Amino acid sequence: MSLVVLGLSHRSAAVDVRERFAYAEAQVAPTLAKLRDSGLAREAVLLSTCNRVELYVAPVRSVREAAAELREFLVADRAVSGPLGGELYVHTDQTGVEHLFKVACGLDSLVLGETEILGQLKQAYDLALAAGHTGRVLNKAFQGAFHVAKKIRSETQIQRGNTSVASVAVDLADKIFDGLSGRDVMVIGAGDTSEKTARALLGRGARSLFVSNRSYDRAAALAAELGGQAVHFDGWESEFARIDIVVSSTSAPHHVLDRPKLERLLKLRAPRPLLLIDIAVPRDIDPEVRFLDGVYLANVDDLQGIADEHLRNRRDEVVRCEAIIREKARGLVAGLGFPADGMRAMLLDRPRGA
Amino acid sequence: MLTDRSWFTIAVALYGISAVYSVLLWRRGFREDNRVLYALLSGGAVLHTCAMFQRGFALDRCPINNLFEASMFIAWTIVAAYLVIGAFRRLRFLGAFASPLLAAIGVFALFPMLDHRGPKPEFSHAWESLHAASVLLSYGAFGLSAVAALMYLSQEHDLRFHRARAVLALMPPIQRLEKVISGLLAAGFVLLTAGLVIGAWWLKQAKGYFVSDDPKIVWSGLVWVAYGVLLALRGKLGAGGRRFAWGVVGAFVFVLLTFWGTNLPSPIHHP
Repeated sequence: MSLVVLGLSHRSAAVDVRERFAYAEAQVAPTLAKLRDSGLAREAVLLSTCNRVELYVAPVRSVREAAAELREFLVADRAVSGPLGGELYVHTDQTGVEHLFKVACGLDSLVLGETEILGQLKQAYDLALAAGHTGRVLNKAFQGAFHVAKKIRSETQIQRGNTSVASVAVDLADKIFDGLSGRDVMVIGAGDTSEKTARALLGRGARSLFVSNRSYDRAAALAAELGGQAVHFDGWESEFARIDIVVSSTSAPHHVLDRPKLERLLKLRAPRPLLLIDIAVPRDIDPEVRFLDGVYLANVDDLQGIADEHLRNRRDEVVRCEAIIREKARGLVAGLGFPADGMRAMLLDRPRGA
Repeated sequence: MLTDRSWFTIAVALYGISAVYSVLLWRRGFREDNRVLYALLSGGAVLHTCAMFQRGFALDRCPINNLFEASMFIAWTIVAAYLVIGAFRRLRFLGAFASPLLAAIGVFALFPMLDHRGPKPEFSHAWESLHAASVLLSYGAFGLSAVAALMYLSQEHDLRFHRARAVLALMPPIQRLEKVISGLLAAGFVLLTAGLVIGAWWLKQAKGYFVSDDPKIVWSGLVWVAYGVLLALRGKLGAGGRRFAWGVVGAFVFVLLTFWGTNLPSPIHHP
């Protein structure tokens, strides 16, 4: 028994190559049926995301033969013409299991440690399982991968801390407010990052959104897109009493909110925390406001610094994760009777006439 | 067979180890899960309970007759309440702040002269025991609210000046901590009020008057007023609750520093 993983990812292929190999969800089950009917695979799972297309196969023949045949199948099935360099790779047996585990844990992802891939992997496996394309080898391998992903999530910090400015801002809000549902958000200046931050806050349950911009049309457009309410730029202070979180990103050359103005506005609010997220350069909010009781201020450098630290922490955890993965893969490989090694290689085009 | 003091000494040693472990957690920015801390404090609580039961069965009454027993009771209230609250994973870090307090109260309680075996205060009836137990439980609740307030102040400071540390810490949001502080303070105040009312009623039955200038009674009245004012000012001490948290810590420090001193000159409580 053996395992062959064949595919390409953001590490080996540019997006223009990946898109030629990508499968729509509706195409996956017929492709798996075709693969098994061709006599190349006993069991098969196909994973297709924007960053990778991979076939996980328990082959009928030896892994070396299977690797070459699967490559030809994939290239033909996707009708990819033209020469390929080292875009397609193959992992077999122990290295194949380790690769699957790394993918499940987000160690092979573009954003190290991200968790979306685990959901996509589960979906790909469930689809193959439901269609009867999995058996002992892939069932054990994928169940093992999900178990390892859970273990790594609970025992290491590879998935701790967000790595984008918008999601770090939400993390900060989570440390201040007892839940984001019921919080009112105001966006002052409708820039790209403030839009992402507002989306992230709404995605985590924020109750309402007010958008204020020098161009009222732009504010109205963004408010309509996000399901919020546009406010005239010279009237945002009138809504301030109900606001819990302010995201500011105007292009004003001076402070939009300074300490005396905020002290005056705070008197209009019931006593409760206020989070100010200043992602403008030059800054919109006077740094002096952070000394006011109940006011928490973070500027773009603060947020980027946190995101960078999270990324550094994740990188520091890779060695621990790999040790866990090696140990678990060894156990699974022994249980399945695979050879205790494996092959990791790039599959180049065969020479003409070979 | 170990004596009650021996059980308690081992429990205090475990509280001491958890206090050291808490320092390590603090230095790492509270990023790691604190199951170890919870297990250490649970172990300490079991031994602590053994000590309480052994002393209680030996006396055939609630063991709150001298400063050793009263201190042991307050610490037990704090650890028992923590074990309940700590069942919620997001509040488990209270233990990191509670363990130094438990270790300090425990070491203090173990001073030999505090386990005074002379004449007992008149706690022979159920009402007197209820008075003492309610009052000591209230100090336990105030102690735990002070611990939550310390946790609040630490996290609030990090949110201002060490945001990366605050975001990565496995700590609850400060708004939830505010609710915990207020809840514990209100519970403590209700218990203290009940304890003082029962005490006054008992005094009327036994001595014919509700209050006297007994130092402990005067002091208890002051503590009641202080916590009452603190609760009344809740919400007016600033939006972020920082001043309120400092008030809660300050009030409990006052209780800790004066509880022992006022007990000794009180003829009713220390005959």
